[in-house]
Formats: sequence, structure tokens, C-alpha cells
Amino acid sequence: MTWPVTATPTPGEPEPPLPDDPEESDPGLARERTSLAWTRTAISFAALGGVVLKVSVASGLIILAMAAIVWRLGWTQRPGAQRLGLITVSVVAVALLSLVIALTGPDAALRLPHAGPLEYALMVTTSSQP
Amino acid sequence: MAAPWRWAWPRGTGLDEGTEPDPRFTFANERTFLAWSRTALALVVAGLGIVQLLPPFPGVPFGRHLLGVPLIVLGAVLAVVAYGEWVRNQRALRHRQPLPRTILPWLLAANITVMAVISAIVLILSAAR
Repeated sequence: MTWPVTATPTPGEPEPPLPDDPEESDPGLARERTSLAWTRTAISFAALGGVVLKVSVASGLIILAMAAIVWRLGWTQRPGAQRLGLITVSVVAVALLSLVIALTGPDAALRLPHAGPLEYALMVTTSSQP
Repeated sequence: MAAPWRWAWPRGTGLDEGTEPDPRFTFANERTFLAWSRTALALVVAGLGIVQLLPPFPGVPFGRHLLGVPLIVLGAVLAVVAYGEWVRNQRALRHRQPLPRTILPWLLAANITVMAVISAIVLILSAAR
């Protein structure tokens, strides 16, 4: 009996033992799930980059570039220690960058206007009149 | 000549010893690490959002920094610890040993609890003014 390629075994049938040689085993959908996890991580970096972009353009662009690198790392065949080590370094670097922004950046840079959308539109319209 | 990625593949940690584990376990270990990394990023975003988005707490001048900065630091710590956990798990898989206990859930839960207590104190102090 060969190792099943489907993710769900037949009900009632005992799961077959793992093959001795790992090369013979089929990872099934595990590879796809892992690729999706890499994509989600890259999106997380991009989301953080978008937030930071409003406070500091240079820092935001750096984090957005990191998102692209993270997404690309998920498709490389290099050893896991290198790829995951780079992710760790990236997260720590982003945290340090955020720490610097939090301690030295403009506090009011991201503060939302207290007025509602209509009041905000009226405010913009009236301020543009001569 | 050694491969260029040797600098990141620590010798003596057991990552190049033992036998190759089932690829599904390797993938699962990698996904767990990535999930913790995303959690670390979420903490960093939360910390930055508290400092930059929230209005100042009346009567508590450093309230926002008191809440936001520890979250950012926790994000960095979580990322480093998650990498260590990945190495330990991968080593155990390669040596066909039981997986070691993880401290990450405890670390996260303890810090969230402490942050919740600090948040409550800041809010009470702010409301009392």
C-alpha cells in the first residue's frame, strides 16, 4: 500500500504507518498550507508598513520592502534555518524601528479627525473657498 | 567551500544531525514559527497604534507609552523565542525525540495579563482626574 496522497483517510480504516524513508512520503497539502502561511506573514509585514508609512515614509517603505522579501523567501528552497532566521531578524528590526517611532515620532501624526465624514467634507469645502 | 547560508545554520544545534524527519512535520513546525512571528508583528502594531493613535490619558502623562512600549518589546522577544523553539523542535524531530515543552503560550498569556492590569490602572487613574 502506498502512502495516501489525500488529506482525509477513509473512515474506519486505520491510518497507515509512516514510511521509513521520508523521501517516499508525500507531504500532501502541507506544502500549500505552509506557502499560505508565508503569504499571510508577508501581508502582516505589508499592513505594518502601511501604518508606519503614515508616520515615517522612509521607515514605512523599508518595512514594505521587507514584506516583498518575506513573500519571496517563502518560495526559495534554502534551508529553513536561514529563511526563518531572516524572518526573526526582520521582526526584531521592525520592532526596534517601531520603538524609535513610538519614542521619538510625532504623537499626533495618526490621530483621526473627531468630526464625522459629513462635517469633515464641509470643513474641507469651506476652507477651500476664498 | 561552505555554503553561503552556513552562517545561519548553527553548528552543534542538531539541525544537521540525525535523520530527515517526515516533511509534514517539518512544514508544521515552520507554520507554527510563522504563526508566532505574525503574533509578534501584531503586538508591534498594537503597541505602535496605542502610542500614535490613542489620545493622551488625562492625568497620566506617559500612559500611552506605558502601554505601547512594552507591547513592542514583547513582540521582539516573542520573535526571538519563537526561533529558539523552532530550532529545539526541529532538533527533536531529527533525533526522533519527544517535542520539548514550549514556553511561548505562557509568556504571551503572562504578558497579556500584566498589560491588562496596567491598562486598568491607567484607565482608573485617568478617570479619577
